[in-house]
Amino acid sequence: MQRANIRRREVVNNLRLIWKEPLLLMSIAGLFYFLLVFVIYPIFQVVLYSLREDGGWTFSNYIAVFSAEYYIRPFINSMVLGVLTASIGTFIGFVFAYAITRTPLPAKRFFRLTATFPIISPPFVVALSAILLFGRVGSLTPFVELVIGEYSIYGLGGLVLVETIAYSPTAFLVLVGILQAIDPALEEASMDLGARRSTVFRTVTLPLATPGIAGAWLLVFIQSIADFGNPMVISGNYQVLSVQAFLQITGMYDLSRGSTLAVLLLLPTLLAFYLQKYWVSRKSYVTVTGKPTSATIKNLEWYIKLPVYALCILFTGMVFLFYGMIIYGSFQKLWGVDATLTINNYIQMLQVGKDYIFDSLTLSSLATPVTGLLGMFFAFLIIRKKFIGRGAMEFISMLTFAVPGTVVGIGYILAFNQSSWFFPVTLTGTAWIIVLLLVFRNMPVGIRSGIAALQQIDPAIEEASTDLGAPSNMTFRKITLPMIAPAFFSGLVYSFVKAMTAISAIIFVVSGQWNLITVAILGFVDNSQYAPAAAMSILLIFIVLLALGIIQIVVNRVGRGTRTTSLVA
Amino acid sequence: MKKSLIALLLVLVVLSPCFGGGAQEKKVLHMYTAFDTEEAKYYIEAFEKETGIDVEWVRMSSGEVLARVEAEAGNPQASVWHAGSNTSHINAASKGLLEPYQPNLDFELPPVFHAKDWAWTGFYSGAIGFISNTDFLKEKGVDPPTSWKDLLNPAFEKNVSMAYPYTSGTAYTTYATLIQMIGLDETLDWWEVFDRQSILQYTKSGTGCIPQAGLGEVAVGIAFSHDILAKGVNQGYPVMMTFPEEGTGYEVGGLSIIKGGPEPELAKEFIDWCYSVDAQNLFQKYNRLPVNPGATVGEGSVTLDQVSLIDYDHIWAGENKDEMIEAWRDRIGK
Repeated sequence: MQRANIRRREVVNNLRLIWKEPLLLMSIAGLFYFLLVFVIYPIFQVVLYSLREDGGWTFSNYIAVFSAEYYIRPFINSMVLGVLTASIGTFIGFVFAYAITRTPLPAKRFFRLTATFPIISPPFVVALSAILLFGRVGSLTPFVELVIGEYSIYGLGGLVLVETIAYSPTAFLVLVGILQAIDPALEEASMDLGARRSTVFRTVTLPLATPGIAGAWLLVFIQSIADFGNPMVISGNYQVLSVQAFLQITGMYDLSRGSTLAVLLLLPTLLAFYLQKYWVSRKSYVTVTGKPTSATIKNLEWYIKLPVYALCILFTGMVFLFYGMIIYGSFQKLWGVDATLTINNYIQMLQVGKDYIFDSLTLSSLATPVTGLLGMFFAFLIIRKKFIGRGAMEFISMLTFAVPGTVVGIGYILAFNQSSWFFPVTLTGTAWIIVLLLVFRNMPVGIRSGIAALQQIDPAIEEASTDLGAPSNMTFRKITLPMIAPAFFSGLVYSFVKAMTAISAIIFVVSGQWNLITVAILGFVDNSQYAPAAAMSILLIFIVLLALGIIQIVVNRVGRGTRTTSLVA
Repeated sequence: MKKSLIALLLVLVVLSPCFGGGAQEKKVLHMYTAFDTEEAKYYIEAFEKETGIDVEWVRMSSGEVLARVEAEAGNPQASVWHAGSNTSHINAASKGLLEPYQPNLDFELPPVFHAKDWAWTGFYSGAIGFISNTDFLKEKGVDPPTSWKDLLNPAFEKNVSMAYPYTSGTAYTTYATLIQMIGLDETLDWWEVFDRQSILQYTKSGTGCIPQAGLGEVAVGIAFSHDILAKGVNQGYPVMMTFPEEGTGYEVGGLSIIKGGPEPELAKEFIDWCYSVDAQNLFQKYNRLPVNPGATVGEGSVTLDQVSLIDYDHIWAGENKDEMIEAWRDRIGK
């Protein structure tokens, strides 16, 4: 009874506080409207479509899906792939993060850069390269066959290899943040008390990192089963759900059953997302004191350094090998047959692709600042303000991260190709639908980095400002914003990279007037013109790197003294 | 410094409406094309040059076009659906998504090249053929397949590739050809053996097996002759093309007006242009077979009267696709 009273009083207090700040109230209402229209409504449309056939309501799509082996199999396959990729990817990510934060690894910047490099390349590039290297007539196939006998790169093995390279960086970025946040003093204390190195690792480092590891695992799992580009190229007869949903729609012209498969794909990603969000993160042992941690890295025994370094070098070598092959391939006359070097591919690519490049740059430049600002604003409200529906806002705003691109893309064309009572404008065919899709799809990372940054800032500083009479918006502008600027810029970097390399969702909303470079690359791949596709991928990577450099310079100018940007998610 | 950044963002936001639509003074035609980017550009630029009409186009696979047109049925964004196997156009027509139009022609278009009510019309054709890697044939001392039965030759064990019948018009045409030749049950019996014995993998796109055969990833692929020539032989891959002697099916490339599209008049102009001798002559570069008898056939192209063709029924294939595909997937399990 008393507790209920206290709760009620809290709610009333909250309401009163919000009422005092109409600007805040309006922002909250506005943001909820955006979330409903651009996140919930499209997904809702997909679910709706899966329940409709011939104008009526029915479960027939689901019954059909569950009664046919060829629909169930891809589901199981996707799960197996997700588990394998997530496990191997997290392991590699952890070793890398450990090497960067806990060992005197030489050339750390270099290793850090190469470990995160796959993130900035468009999807399916790694798969393409894998075929060239390890396909039936790949450059390295004879050597590999000497060692392991006959094999096929098409299928589960190849997919795991390719996705591990593509998604270990995600695990690395999460874990490097976690390991950096764990005060080495704890480990040192344990050592000083006489524990052996392995005991320290087993009883201090590992338990402290466990929530991070679980979180990284789930993130890679989500990315892996939602991945579309790589399986499209290299899955062979190993069918996965994301591709099957796409094929059902584009091959069988069956929107409703494709939507059904999309819903099947959605459920495990949502579950993983939920676990990651609410189960793992609650168990976080990381304590941020705000005090700088004096990272004193001690020299380690050779039997620790050797395997750790070996794995880092091996993975870095793989990254070089795969991207080197793409560069080499982009200059070949006819990939795989005629290795004469030529720049014709670049000429051909520029002739066909200059409009795409312009569009990609324009739309990404539009979407990026909006994504960053909106993401920060969401993070600020979620962490610093108390209002009813805060939990819902957080969940919904992070949702697009867990929803596979194909689902989002179809949802967007179903939702915005006519006006509805709560959104009176038709968006299909305009630049806006692409920009909005990019904004809401890439925002979760901005929010996440914003939340992470805000959590590390003691609210007492903001409270002091409020106590001195500053209204909410002034406190946000003068106190909070400067402190979260680094996180803001890394959010910007990430969303720009993602906007430039997006494909799975974007392919459904491009139009004649607005088209994107990744769609053009996929066109080349479809057309089996691997060399021009490689050339265009190289160009895209180059543009992204250039943009990253520019943002870096801006950051250095604007946020003097703040840390450098990175792709930390 | 921070202020200037905010100002910059503001400028961006204010300027951004310029990217919306804008007034269009020049005539603009919106189009979906299923040709590959480079090839589509080749035809469309010729049209733009000749007529002064601007074309805004998106390249997608024919399945994607259909899904898109269906989803946009409430508010169509494009006027013309350019290319793609007529099977998908037939499917769209049966869903009422297309606007019938009989083009102005100075020659007679055979009935197999258009819908009864002219909902779609065919503007090129090409037969199903086999592509074989000549290096492989030489090394193993085998002949290229010249019959459907040859595909079961143990020399080609796990060495044949083609697309899934449900993702590619090419592969579906192959499947429907066999059904029309020997019936559904026998086709599936044959396919079961074929799948187990010879198939290395299915690809998503109908042309996917061509570079695979070219690179030697597989020995044999099944695809349309114009694709085999343009994307295999003419690219310089060590490949050759053969046809099954029992008979083979063929593709008709479709062209249609999307119902309720924004520029119906320009769409008609474009379709008429596609049948002109000049436009049909452009097909030489990509080895497609023109339907205008006045047009020149590309060098090396195999015309339909040079191979043994079956009396392929496109309408039947298009209308029974869902059922046939389900039978295939139930039996083959993929």
